Amino acid sequence: MNAELEKKIREALANPQNVGEMADADSIGTVGNAGCGEMLRLWVKFKDDKGKRVIDKATFQSFGCETAIAVASMATELIKGKTAEEALALKSEDLSGGLGPLPPMKIHCAELVEGALRSALEPTTTACPPAATEVAPVATGTNLIDSLSQEQKPGVKITFLPPTAK
Amino acid sequence: MSEVLEAYPGAQRALFRKYHIGGCSSCGFQPTETLGQVCVRNNNLSVDEVLAHIRTSHDEDAKVLIDPKELAELLKQNTAIRLLDIRSREEYEAVKIEGSLLLSQPLMQEILGKWGQDATFVVIDHAGKTALDGAAYFLGHGYKNVRALRGGIDAWSLEVDEKLPRYQLG
Repeated sequence: MNAELEKKIREALANPQNVGEMADADSIGTVGNAGCGEMLRLWVKFKDDKGKRVIDKATFQSFGCETAIAVASMATELIKGKTAEEALALKSEDLSGGLGPLPPMKIHCAELVEGALRSALEPTTTACPPAATEVAPVATGTNLIDSLSQEQKPGVKITFLPPTAK
Repeated sequence: MSEVLEAYPGAQRALFRKYHIGGCSSCGFQPTETLGQVCVRNNNLSVDEVLAHIRTSHDEDAKVLIDPKELAELLKQNTAIRLLDIRSREEYEAVKIEGSLLLSQPLMQEILGKWGQDATFVVIDHAGKTALDGAAYFLGHGYKNVRALRGGIDAWSLEVDEKLPRYQLG
């Protein structure tokens, strides 16, 4: 990653916009899988603007890549005031526009945000689903974040060893 | 890649630390892929260069590990060191090192967003199996001062604090 991009990501992460759940969202989109650690969820609230249904605000939660957090922070600002169709027309490179061109190995981070946006705004998911749509990640296989979530697997049974085991 | 990982158990950590490959599902790889295919997918990296880096992975892992006694000494001198516990909530609530923080989704966002890349922290697991992976994840994101506790909290209990009960899972 070049120094300029790294600096912009740092700046975005220092003061991320629109982080957190939204209780009264009109639609929710999720990409990734909370069970395996990497996940991005987007909440969207609409309002009426001169007869047009436009995005009033959007918030997100992310667990994983810092670039995805930076892009989500920018994207949730960018889509304000846009209709669902206008927001859906945005490509991952538009969403990460403020960061400048992303290197190939980081493009997936912006695609994650684009995926969450589609999940939230496409007609099949705009009816405020009670449970967010889970979309398979781009690629699967062994990875480090999976190791972390494996270690954190809930419901484990703990048996204390006798002091003599020391 | 499965053969590469078998020959070099630290290969995945090495790949992520330097090339941001294999950290999450989006930049992960399939066990059936060849190293060449992974290199092509990632900006046409030189296979020879990547292989040379993987071969140093064992030495790199050793540099990341910190012994329990060494950590105990450092904590006496430097209270700014954070302890990041990556075990399950059940284990953390049963046995923990005083002052350690349980990794959670909000904490992960706080680390990535607010701690800064110069933050010093030590990743702790149960018995030292995954703390290196956890540390490599942060090192791959540019954090410079991340270590992993050798032998996990189990070794801490054996070597530093005998009052801390040992446990097994299952």
